[in-house]
Amino acid sequence: MRRRLRIGRGAFVAPPLGIVLLLLLGPIVLLTLYSVNLRTNIPFAPTVFSSSNWKDFLTSHTNPFRDRFFYSMKITLLVSLATVIAAYPLAYFLAFVAGRFRYTLLLLLIAPFFTSYLLRIVAWSDMILNNNGIVNQALWAVHLRPSGSGVGWLLYSNFSIFLVLFYAWIPFVSLPIFAVLENMDHSLVEAATDLGASRFKTFWTVTFPLSLPGVIAGFVFVLIPTTGEFIAPLYVGGPGNQLFGNSIQSFFGDSPNWNYGAVLAISLIVVVLVLVMLFGRFLNTDLRRQPVEVER
Amino acid sequence: MSAGGRVGRVAIRAYFWLFVVFLFAPLVALLVFAFNRSPSPTLPIKAFSTQWFHRAFADTGLTAALVRSIEIATATGLFATGLGIMASLGLTARRLRLRAVVVSVLLLPLVVPYISLAVGLLILLNQMGVRLSLWAVFLGHVVIAMPFSILVVLPRLRSLDPSMIEAAKDLGSGEVSAFGRVTLPLLTPSLVSSFLICFITSFDEFAIASFLAPPGSPTYPVFLYAGSRSPGLLPELIAVGSIIIAGSLLLIALAEGGRRWVERRLQGLSAEEAQAVLEGSGLAVEI
Repeated sequence: MRRRLRIGRGAFVAPPLGIVLLLLLGPIVLLTLYSVNLRTNIPFAPTVFSSSNWKDFLTSHTNPFRDRFFYSMKITLLVSLATVIAAYPLAYFLAFVAGRFRYTLLLLLIAPFFTSYLLRIVAWSDMILNNNGIVNQALWAVHLRPSGSGVGWLLYSNFSIFLVLFYAWIPFVSLPIFAVLENMDHSLVEAATDLGASRFKTFWTVTFPLSLPGVIAGFVFVLIPTTGEFIAPLYVGGPGNQLFGNSIQSFFGDSPNWNYGAVLAISLIVVVLVLVMLFGRFLNTDLRRQPVEVER
Repeated sequence: MSAGGRVGRVAIRAYFWLFVVFLFAPLVALLVFAFNRSPSPTLPIKAFSTQWFHRAFADTGLTAALVRSIEIATATGLFATGLGIMASLGLTARRLRLRAVVVSVLLLPLVVPYISLAVGLLILLNQMGVRLSLWAVFLGHVVIAMPFSILVVLPRLRSLDPSMIEAAKDLGSGEVSAFGRVTLPLLTPSLVSSFLICFITSFDEFAIASFLAPPGSPTYPVFLYAGSRSPGLLPELIAVGSIIIAGSLLLIALAEGGRRWVERRLQGLSAEEAQAVLEGSGLAVEI
């Protein structure tokens, strides 16, 4: 009786598991079939195995989508790195300087993250960075630019893509870093100070290494969504600043070629999974404390 | 504290507040321009007006999109949280085969890019011969929201004292009524968080909705995207956006106020400390 009850409880994972299998793994399997032409959306086209789309994407001499992919990865790495570096002092401030109100201040920091992403991008593209937007108007007001002439690279540029993504992820990245700093064993810092280490040295040899799991977690938190980003470029990117996600989108839009689009969509999934596994290894110490990993 | 330390603290404090300004600047811009009488959101603002709010609520396309999104987000919040409870119950079972695999699969939606999932779901619908529908959007949102629910509910379920459930059973409760009368009430705070996180995830989701919502019945983000490209619609979208942003911020401030209130009661602070906390939450509300 008791034994059966225990097995019964485990059975509760079946419905959520079924949903993920059907609605997540199902689409991935179908995308894979499309990518090798075993299925197609083109009427009357033959459905025989063909790796030509993969060959074209991976090995052809010049491939605009592969170039787009490397451009996207560059932007993604730059954004991830910059957000982590900029968020560290914010987390440090909250954990060690802010004092009693640190949780309220933390919330203040992450509150914008819980407001509409699209609206925040609209604000950047249509109010702040645009030609007669707030930044240019401010420059005109203090006569740093001749009135009426906007700064060219403010919008539809690498800069605007970078800025908007950096802006979007800063609050989120400071969370894991804060969590690690907050739970750090302060006696280690005291020990280092007692043994005569300078504040700088204490930070670099004790505090920073101990906070690395949080830093890497933050890095991964930006990396995953940014790799597939396609909304920000629609608003603040020019034709030359579209990301890999936009290439995928284009194959499923007005001039559809699902077979080629599937190659790109699967590539994106594979790259993100590899990145997660790569950086996930460094998260081990952190993950083991997370209740998701059960050891029984 | 040495002089260098004090300078460092001032500098890092200034750094933090500069970032707060940076993060809130676009939100403030939206809130202010919503009241701009001119249809173009540019400085200087010559006159204020609430006309865009009136127009927005008279625009049935916009209000219908909002209602759709609220419905889908509410359903997603409830459904994903229900699935999150089930997954958490299953994962806390003493015996569970292939536990590591199950956990990985359940959390997989966290690492699959939304754009890939969106086009994959589009293909799935096509394969099954199902037309584009808001139900498809809802199901897509359930998949991406469920892992968040698990990450919120599971730790809470783990932290419950098993002796309380044992006590209920010793007092004659069955498995089901012990769950309903003891476990569920104790889970409530995490269920509320789960619902809110899933709601926001769905309400703000663009990629899946843009591919799966049928033409003619867009969700709010899809409508917002299409509309923000046409200057005629932009001002009323800004007006509605400002309400949504003000609402979100108010909700967060209220939640924080509630948290501090509970914390204060639990910790039994001195009167002065309680006063300071009150001022603190006042600060949160003001901002």
